[in-house]
Amino acid sequence: MAGGASLALGREATYTLGMDTLPARPASGRGPLAVVRFLGLVLLGALVGAVAALAAVAFVSAVLALNELLLISPRSRMMFDHPALLLAATVAVPALGGLVVGQLHRAIPERRPHAPADVIAAVQTRRGRLPARAGSISALSALVSLGSGASVGQYGPLVHLGATLGSLGARLLRLGRSDDNITIACGVAAAIATAFNAPLAGIVFAHEVVLRHYALRAFAPVAAAALVGYVIATNVLERGALFHVAETAVPRPWEFVAFLAIGGLGALVAGAYMHAILGVTRLAGALTLAPSLRPALAGTLLGLTALWVPDILGMGQETLRFATIAGAFGSAELLLVLVLKIAATGLCLGMGFSGGVFSPALVIGTLFGALCGSLVGQFSGAPQETFVFYAVCGMVAVTSPVIGAPLTSLLIVFELTGSYALTTAALASVTLASPIAAQLFGRSLFDIQLEQRGLDLSAGRGRAVLRTTPVAEHLTDDCVTLHPQTPVAEAVTALCRARHGEGYLVDDRGRYRGCVGLADLEAARESSTGPTRVGEVATLARPVLRPDTSLWDAMAELQDVTGEALPVVDPAADDAFRGVVFESSIARAYLAHSDELRREEHGTG
Amino acid sequence: MARGERSRWPASAPRLALLWLALFAADPGQADDDALTVLSWGGAYERAQQAALFSPYTAATGTPIEVAQYDGGLEGLRRAVAEGEVPWDLIDMTRSEAMAACAEGLLEPLSPALLAPAPDGTPAEEDFLPDSFGRCAITHSIFATVVAYRRDAFPGKRPDSIADLFDQRRFPGPRALQRTPAVNLEWALLSYRVPHEELYGLLSTRRGLDLTLARLDELDEIRWWEAGDVPPRLLAEGEVVMASGYNGRFFDAMVNRGVPIEILWDGQVQEHETWAIPRGAANPEMARDFLRFATTTDRLADLSRHIPYGPARRSAAVRVTTHPDSGVDMRLHIPTHPLNAENALAKDEAWYARTLGRIQDYFRAWLEAREGQ
Repeated sequence: MAGGASLALGREATYTLGMDTLPARPASGRGPLAVVRFLGLVLLGALVGAVAALAAVAFVSAVLALNELLLISPRSRMMFDHPALLLAATVAVPALGGLVVGQLHRAIPERRPHAPADVIAAVQTRRGRLPARAGSISALSALVSLGSGASVGQYGPLVHLGATLGSLGARLLRLGRSDDNITIACGVAAAIATAFNAPLAGIVFAHEVVLRHYALRAFAPVAAAALVGYVIATNVLERGALFHVAETAVPRPWEFVAFLAIGGLGALVAGAYMHAILGVTRLAGALTLAPSLRPALAGTLLGLTALWVPDILGMGQETLRFATIAGAFGSAELLLVLVLKIAATGLCLGMGFSGGVFSPALVIGTLFGALCGSLVGQFSGAPQETFVFYAVCGMVAVTSPVIGAPLTSLLIVFELTGSYALTTAALASVTLASPIAAQLFGRSLFDIQLEQRGLDLSAGRGRAVLRTTPVAEHLTDDCVTLHPQTPVAEAVTALCRARHGEGYLVDDRGRYRGCVGLADLEAARESSTGPTRVGEVATLARPVLRPDTSLWDAMAELQDVTGEALPVVDPAADDAFRGVVFESSIARAYLAHSDELRREEHGTG
Repeated sequence: MARGERSRWPASAPRLALLWLALFAADPGQADDDALTVLSWGGAYERAQQAALFSPYTAATGTPIEVAQYDGGLEGLRRAVAEGEVPWDLIDMTRSEAMAACAEGLLEPLSPALLAPAPDGTPAEEDFLPDSFGRCAITHSIFATVVAYRRDAFPGKRPDSIADLFDQRRFPGPRALQRTPAVNLEWALLSYRVPHEELYGLLSTRRGLDLTLARLDELDEIRWWEAGDVPPRLLAEGEVVMASGYNGRFFDAMVNRGVPIEILWDGQVQEHETWAIPRGAANPEMARDFLRFATTTDRLADLSRHIPYGPARRSAAVRVTTHPDSGVDMRLHIPTHPLNAENALAKDEAWYARTLGRIQDYFRAWLEAREGQ
């Protein structure tokens, strides 16, 4: 048990040991066959990208068509010349949409829509295999939510849809988990590249948010997918860029201080936004109303508020645009719409509408930036040529902490505007916003949600993988179980015959009663005054594992144990003894997982 | 339908002349009670139609054409249909007004089946540009509302973006704008650099409308025009330095009358000019016959030689040549030429057809408030 002894030294030693005892397999990126296989993966990435991009285009078009049909878009509201009916529709459409969404979610096992957080969890735990059925129901319910004007985003559903399609592709081709993770990232990258018309942002988003490591092996397929998505977007989707900037405007040096400050304050706005969503989710749990009816309630409240402030309906594209125009809103109005939009989005997402957090964050951030811009304008008396800079800085300061993607936010600004001046201004805001929000709230809303569901990604993928791998995978019944009434001599014989040093006491009802060592049994047999029954022999101090104990926790237990194996006991079944896991199995599994991660993250092909 | 069959004959000159003689010899007195009354826009536009459409039609069929002056709007048509006294057989109207009139039941339905194929046999449905056929109207030309400016008004500078229309600092001087919300609203909002795709969505909000009117309010002096011949005149007389107007009128002033103006093509708003037959017209069959004649490839190409409107037929667009008097290459002056159409705005006709009344009320209220000051 040399392995066990060194392992007890802690994690550092583990890795050293891993190198010694499990030499990395010869890198698979050598030789013509590996190259062909790798190119096949790139091709698959492009294919996934094409399918995800087309799905994204169809999704976006369907949302726009529904918004026209259901009197959500300002254009359709303006063209509809029956004021009383329009008021009725403003309340009825989100309410009925919520009703449909609630019913749809009853068909998902978790009773909630799947979202980017589920994608992150699947990749970070190397589980992959996103469920196609829950994925398609979530996409459908997101379509209904967005179509009926709920204050939710469209990019989250697009990302999840792309990821689900990618995972489906990997499963159809019977690829392994590593490749499954890569095709998921491909779907994500293509969805972002298509939706924003920004291929670089798509690639970086897939790495920054989903994969969370950089490997050349993943880069090429993801880049191919993003590129295909971009090509499809530029040829099919004809949409205006999010921002336009007058070429002449360049911020004065002191304005960068303002951009930095917007970053710091934006982190707080992002925190308020995330906590609005999380808070409503918590409160909704305490409601007596059935979960499937909660979205309908949220829709009704949203519709009633929209009668007063229609800007909060839907994704808010018009509101976003107006917020970049100096003078479109007064300062008080900006604050009002900002607060209501946060409340509306918290309400919709917390009560169970399906949709993303990014588009509302864009609106909220831009309103916040516009507010800062108009305040600075008022106090400095400066002309409003750089107003759009403030709007964009506010936008990235709020969005990047929410999705945990500072680089993606910057790249979106860069690719949409092509303006270096604007990107540097945004950089100033992101510099403060992301770390401050990460310190105060967490890496992203997705991470906070996952942590609440029991998946802590704060220490990276290595721990997350080990934490989600149950030790019971290595359970064996290759052990000696002893009844407490067994005579000591008989027990010694049994252990010797089985060539084991430890036996496990299991009573009549199958309950685990402790662990005895061969040495203690021998001593008892030799002693004339000692115990005659196994049950009377002193048991070894031995931690027990539960069937759902993770590999990570098992490793932690091993730190204080020298012995052969750890018993697995099921407290749910009256402490029933399930078998044992050998310490060497735990160590081997630990090393194998580390090795797989290492190959995935550092392999080239 | 003797007349309908005749017009389907190949339009070779000797046969037409023969026909014309035969008609007049046979029935010289029918002209007056059987005249076709066309409601059209007057000025250079009417002169071009006279040369390319009306005279050749009369020459080919013997039917005289009387032209009534039209300044847009539906009030006259509405009244005439309600009273059952429709004095016109055919109206040359913008597509947006045709759509609104059609929705109100003021127009006869029109089928594209009555149109002649292209000279090479391409059916009309494929030859016409997209969205040319409405339920009650058929597009014959594409024109644009553009801004023109006096070349001598801004020494050393020239406007190159539609936002310059509202830039009184760099381009000072009075402007002439059409007394309608259409086009003015679009340009005012475009001056905030919003993308074309989102324009009508933004104009659909109170906030968007307020922004546009705030922009219009920034102009010190606006001369409002209603008839299309006014803006070139105001420019020619130096009353204004910039004016909105129809590209055909500006062309006429520029090329035929040597007025020192230049067209700003950025932000041009393209519109379809259509033929429509009013409900209760006295001679609807004759009107259809003329419509078929006037939308043949030859006639459309000829019309674009007289006035720089883009023909609605692809086969006609490639046949556009030089202006008959000045020899100017007309392809460079039609709104659909790639160089001119780069930043063209397609007017959202469906939006206008449904909102015109309310938008006009809103605009009028603002106008009255402005003029009351």
